[in-house]
Amino acid sequence: MSSYSLAAISFVLFSLAAAGFLTCGSLVRMLMFLELMLNAANIALVALGPETVSQAYAVMLFAIAAAEAGVGLALLITLASVFKTLEAENIRELKG
Amino acid sequence: MIIITAAIYVFGGLAALATLLMIFQRDPVKAAMLMLGALLSTAGLYLALSAQLLAVLQIILYAGAIMTLFIVALTATPAAWRDKPARGSFAKVLGLAVAAVILTELLKVSGALKAIIVSPEFTETGTLDLAMALFGRFAFQFELLSLVILAAIVAAVALASKRRPA
Repeated sequence: MSSYSLAAISFVLFSLAAAGFLTCGSLVRMLMFLELMLNAANIALVALGPETVSQAYAVMLFAIAAAEAGVGLALLITLASVFKTLEAENIRELKG
Repeated sequence: MIIITAAIYVFGGLAALATLLMIFQRDPVKAAMLMLGALLSTAGLYLALSAQLLAVLQIILYAGAIMTLFIVALTATPAAWRDKPARGSFAKVLGLAVAAVILTELLKVSGALKAIIVSPEFTETGTLDLAMALFGRFAFQFELLSLVILAAIVAAVALASKRRPA
């Protein structure tokens, strides 16, 4: 097994998540796919990096993902209460 | 060694399948369950890559905490706001084409990795080594991370407590 195969697994996951992010219109789904993209990046880090260092960075990325999900969902709930929609197409103003 | 290699492909394939099904799933709660499947498959992938602590953290943090947040967000917003018809076919085709270009470029750029042969074996990754790295070599980054999380908590509370009229 070459490192290329390991990298390919994470690249496929990343691209599928990117495809979902670009094709879905709902903000909740977009955030879900964003998390999956971060997850795929984490897999590449663990699979290709030196053992201890890459795993230490992966632990830190877990915390970043948790922080991102927290802020993202708070933002979504605020957007939903202001615009009464969670479709990205219907939210056109930056200042709600 | 063959079992480990097979496990890597199986868990990777399961994660990819769950992500693919998620794209075509219209029900947001079912999509969240598929995402849970993808995250659990990733935990299996970490186990196969001998990252036991990461597998446990993946289940606790991603599959536990983050998924719960998503389910709470889905239940907190009315169904009428989430279940809208899908985007036009042109936007979908464009999105898929962009994703295909990203995949092709990533595979092309990483072509040099083909020469590196690895033999995945099940080894025990020392949690002590990981802790020594986090609290020794990467102590500054780790402390900076606590500031990021603090900022995220403050932002989330500030956003959630602000109720503005439309």
